[in-house]
Amino acid sequence: MIFFEEEIYEHPTTARIRRALPKASWVPIDRYQELFNKRHQNFKLQKKNPALILAKKHDNFVLPVPSGFGMGSHKNFYFSHMYNCLYDCKYCFLQGMYSSANFVLFVNFEDFFRSISEKIKEYKGQSLTFFSGYDCDSLAFDKLSGFADQALSFFNGLSNVELELRTKSIAIGSLLQREPLSNCIVAFSLSPAQIAKSLDSKAPSINRRISAIKQLADAGWKIGLRFDPLIYTSDWKELYSALFADIMNGLDPERIHSISYGPLRFPKTMYKKAASLHPEHKLFAFPMEETNGVVSYGAKIETQMHDFLKSELNNYISENKIFQCTI
Amino acid sequence: MSEFTNAESNMDPQFKFCWVIALRAEAKPLIDALKMKLVENKSLFPIYANEETGHALVISGTGSIKSAAAATFLKTYLKINDYSAWINLGIAGFFKGPIGDIYQANKVVLKESGAAFFPGLRLSKQIPSAILFTVSKPENGYKEKVLYDMEAAGFCEMAPSFSCNELTYVIKIVSDTPNASSSLITKHLVRELIEKQLSKILDIIAEIEILVEEEKKRLSIPNEVIEFEKRFKFTETNKYKFREIYRKWKVAFPSKKLDLSEFLNSQPKEIILRLEKEVLFNAEDWNVL
Repeated sequence: MIFFEEEIYEHPTTARIRRALPKASWVPIDRYQELFNKRHQNFKLQKKNPALILAKKHDNFVLPVPSGFGMGSHKNFYFSHMYNCLYDCKYCFLQGMYSSANFVLFVNFEDFFRSISEKIKEYKGQSLTFFSGYDCDSLAFDKLSGFADQALSFFNGLSNVELELRTKSIAIGSLLQREPLSNCIVAFSLSPAQIAKSLDSKAPSINRRISAIKQLADAGWKIGLRFDPLIYTSDWKELYSALFADIMNGLDPERIHSISYGPLRFPKTMYKKAASLHPEHKLFAFPMEETNGVVSYGAKIETQMHDFLKSELNNYISENKIFQCTI
Repeated sequence: MSEFTNAESNMDPQFKFCWVIALRAEAKPLIDALKMKLVENKSLFPIYANEETGHALVISGTGSIKSAAAATFLKTYLKINDYSAWINLGIAGFFKGPIGDIYQANKVVLKESGAAFFPGLRLSKQIPSAILFTVSKPENGYKEKVLYDMEAAGFCEMAPSFSCNELTYVIKIVSDTPNASSSLITKHLVRELIEKQLSKILDIIAEIEILVEEEKKRLSIPNEVIEFEKRFKFTETNKYKFREIYRKWKVAFPSKKLDLSEFLNSQPKEIILRLEKEVLFNAEDWNVL
């Protein structure tokens, strides 16, 4: 089922999707909000069979990242050509943020790129990083949307400007078909395999993600490794150690652009909503602490995990490539 | 108010399906197939129900406002739970034949105002879907490639607030087209159209029931919690805290039972504290898997 804003029916991205899904039912709407923001939606049930909504984004194409999100001291921005994700990760903040699990794809990529160009002009001479994959997965929908190919063509050759494609997807075909971009980081979100199997519903297994990482690295792409959120469980040290070893086995450390990690944290209202969606899941049965409206494992566990990860990752990569994400 | 009670648990009956249907002729095949009995006939909106199968049905009469009012009446009269599915079933005009085809409305538009609703999860493996316009008088022009009815928009305005949008369904069977005028519709024809789709309707019920059961499980308050809340005077804040820590405690200790006799001389805060301590102690060797 595809809902589309009538205004963008003739847009090339819409036409591409029409060709790819000739048997889908197409239902016209005025604006995506009339469907996406409706009251009394049930995120969990909707996630079983979400609809695709094709829309045009009109403003706020590029936004500054929340503090604590980026790497180092660069100027960091994010943009979201989609809302929501194909995957159904239990810890995902999107389930607490949106009332709808439907996918919104903003087809007017060109307006995102125009807005990014304006930011580059505004911050001329400064190093900028643009993050994709904050409100969605950057690549999971790529076969249908063709987003990555257009984004890479836009960013190709821009100096002092980096693009990060954050993903759990193994849909890397569009990347492997072209020469790697020196200013693009393909950043994979990862957890120990057993944890991912339990929490990352519908996402590719960790083995397949690691395999995709190695294919991209072998092809010359810069890789980001994102261990965010860190999940606490009884044998977490062994699990994370084994995960790092699996990833680094046969991977040239030179290909790693950066590694970041961050503790499991929720704004209080998001935690409540996520827990109400998965009341019987162990993730939401841990005695979390609440400080200043943020629900977390608490300082003691966070510090333990931070210290261990930093020390463990130092075995594989230099310290200046390791960052802690604190949002 | 309602004559229904669950003798065993002394709780209200648990209706899983609530049907809102305009005409008696549309409702009759369903009432018979699901063995529903008349339980209320003194108001504007007759109600039929079968407690054992979990079906309740209200006959709304024609029109969008009546549909909304009848749904509200049914909800209140039978104290319907918030995990129940709400289904508006009926006949509809369509721009093309054949008569008797069944559709799920994927978008319902109140023609007068343009207000749009998007009821239900798609049942695309079971039946095709179509856009539906709710009109205030019978549509004979079939100008657009949509279904036409006179109730669904009112139903869609109210029903999602009783459970959720994903458990609200509009199912229509084509009764008239440009080649088969609505003036030819008789009670007999209406019954026949619905009867011929009963098997499909039962398949749809089975699919929706899976979702209802899932929601029921998610939203139900365990009997242990209800017992404690009856026995002890929890403030609203403590009731929330108790339910939350009980949920965590039960996940941590699924085979344990919360024994009322252990807490007879306790204050609500002490009960909460005790559960918190047990959960915290268990967290030292926490396994999320």
